[in-house]
Amino acid sequence: MITTLARLIDAPFDALQRRFGAARMPYVFVAPNLLVFGIFVAAPMILNVWYAITGGTQFMPADRPYVGASNFAELLDCTNHFIPATCKQDRFWRAVANTSWFVAFQVIGLVAISLLTALILNRRMPWRGFFRAVFFYPVLLSPVVVALIWKWILQPDGVLNAIVVGSGGARVPFLLDPGWAFSWTIVVSIWAHMGFYTLILLAGLQAIPADLYEAAEMDGTPHVRVFWRITLPLLMPNMLVVLVLALIRAVQSFDEIFVLTGGGPGTATQYIVQYIYETAFANQTHILGLAATASMLVGGVLLVLTLLQLAASARARGEAGR
Amino acid sequence: MSSLALRGIVREFGHLRVIHGVDLDVAEGEFVVFVGPSGCGKSTLLRIIAGLDQPNGGDVLIDGIRVNDRRAAERGLAMVFQSYALYPHMTVRQNLAFGLENQRLAKAEIDRRIAEAARMLQIEHLLARKPGQLSGGQRQRVAIGRTVTREPGIFLFDEPLSNLDAELRVQMRVELSALHKRLKATMIYVTHDQTEAMTMADRIVVLRGGRVEQAGSPLHLYNHPANRFVAGFIGSPRMNFLEAVAQGGSTIRVDDMPPVPLPAAAETSDGEAVTLGVRPEHLGFVAEDGLPGTVDIVEHMGGESYVYVTLANGARLTLRNPGQTALHSGEPVRIGISGAAHLFSRAEGEPAIAARRPA
Ligand SMILES: Nc1ncnc2c1ncn2[C@@H]1O[C@H](COP(=O)(O)OP(=O)(O)OP(=O)(O)O)[C@@H](O)[C@H]1O
Ligand SMILES: [Mg+2]
Repeated sequence: MITTLARLIDAPFDALQRRFGAARMPYVFVAPNLLVFGIFVAAPMILNVWYAITGGTQFMPADRPYVGASNFAELLDCTNHFIPATCKQDRFWRAVANTSWFVAFQVIGLVAISLLTALILNRRMPWRGFFRAVFFYPVLLSPVVVALIWKWILQPDGVLNAIVVGSGGARVPFLLDPGWAFSWTIVVSIWAHMGFYTLILLAGLQAIPADLYEAAEMDGTPHVRVFWRITLPLLMPNMLVVLVLALIRAVQSFDEIFVLTGGGPGTATQYIVQYIYETAFANQTHILGLAATASMLVGGVLLVLTLLQLAASARARGEAGR
Repeated sequence: MSSLALRGIVREFGHLRVIHGVDLDVAEGEFVVFVGPSGCGKSTLLRIIAGLDQPNGGDVLIDGIRVNDRRAAERGLAMVFQSYALYPHMTVRQNLAFGLENQRLAKAEIDRRIAEAARMLQIEHLLARKPGQLSGGQRQRVAIGRTVTREPGIFLFDEPLSNLDAELRVQMRVELSALHKRLKATMIYVTHDQTEAMTMADRIVVLRGGRVEQAGSPLHLYNHPANRFVAGFIGSPRMNFLEAVAQGGSTIRVDDMPPVPLPAAAETSDGEAVTLGVRPEHLGFVAEDGLPGTVDIVEHMGGESYVYVTLANGARLTLRNPGQTALHSGEPVRIGISGAAHLFSRAEGEPAIAARRPA
């Protein structure tokens, strides 16, 4: 069966190799992937730069007049960058402020809860496989499904309010009050993504040799000290990966929150990617230049974060002495 | 320095019983080696002593006190793991200090103990390094150093040398023996290497299938193996075994080859089927009588030679000859028993065949 398959594949590759020679075969193998990458990643990135330095509302790149850095100037024009109302593009700066708060709380909460969950799931306990599956399950859901489930729970006549009212409380406007809505976007986002990070941390925990813990036990090490002095340092490479991935993905948050709150009430849960999306495609006038510029700025932030991660993980590897 | 006693230790994993009631006494300052084939329960037994594992039955006593309910750290033991189990992110010094800090010892005392252990094990120049920057032998020393700083009543070693190359193994063997003499500490050492057992032990405990087959000094086990298993396990090259029939008490016949005289009379009945066990150095070449065979290969060690012989009935024998020999492959020889012979009953169903009479 497998040999038949291999023979089937062999023939065209043999022909290719005769055509290009063995030395060029590696390029032949990466070519399809490179093509896909070029069309869907590289070309849009280059186009994005072009949109950022051109103006108007035209869609075709050739029709757009060159405006230099004026899109950047427009976006960054503020009397006080910490007060969005003083900015020319106040919606952009509101989104930046919202996103900053969201990222801070979401990432800290996500990393802490994922770590705690991984520590618990790493223990010997009944139904461990079941619980591991349960915590991972939300990761498999489509963001839209996640949002709809939570909408069903949080809407004014939703499940949670039924419980609140049932136990004698007053209806809470979970998605209509700015503070509540902001908090729930964090909760939902953590719930939807924690399974993935828990899995990374769990893998890290399981890679720590059991005999280190036995040595610590022979040494009479208290549990708290084992955690701080053995588990956490040895988990650091995984923690760094989790931290940076979580940061990057938190900055990119969009779909489940957009479906859950639509950015509201008002602009209370409008985050940066939603701003870009609406500026470019959803508003009546499609201001592609500003959107492209904003996405370049976000890209710059993500690039810095990624470099930080690479540097940090290189250092962590050096410190582990391996 | 502590004594240890095991009383009827039983350990089961699910329905599988892996330790079948082990009794053992280890005196203060004794170096006891657990030896046996893979999977015989050596590690399990050691972990039960250490307190890392709990027996399903039986008692562990340290200095006469039952310690079953004491946590590992409270038993006054220290263990060297097969994988060393050094903390990879800490320096050697931190590794050595870690356990002592748990005991809330004064800084000066910790430094004193580290300095002493480091000097004893010659790892002073490595204290600032991390385990990843050490060779296997150096890691081994650090792991031993970590136990030395604990000043335990009993040292436990689980195959500590198995990850080292042959030369280093010999060197560490000598150093461990020296350490034992110097500290006069009680040590329990697990290995499946009978050479390590023979060279280091005050007393060897041979385990098989979770049972103690025999316990005794290396030479006692060598000279008076209680059964065929121990006889085959202790000694290198291995003891030769031949299926044979006793003829009276003083000769033995292997198939239809000429009968061979035994060096001493054995208590066997005429015609009884036995297994004859003879160590390679207790076989010799004879001019007449003896078992006919041909030389397969001769291995020249210089100081001695190993001669591998195939007998007329197809059985193979190993002979250890002092000095150098002129024998060569294909040469016909006759073999007689020149030293001690062991007869083991071949009675069926007996798990360990009892030695009838080491002659
Ligand atoms: N946690 C466990 N669960 C089930 N069976 C186990 C467990 N630990 C050990 N065993 C079984 O107990 C028996 C003894 O194991 P043990 O590790 O003590 O052997 P050993 O003599 O140390 O062998 P080796 O020389 O290979 O280290 C083996 O058959 C092993 O499969
Ligand atoms: Mg073992």
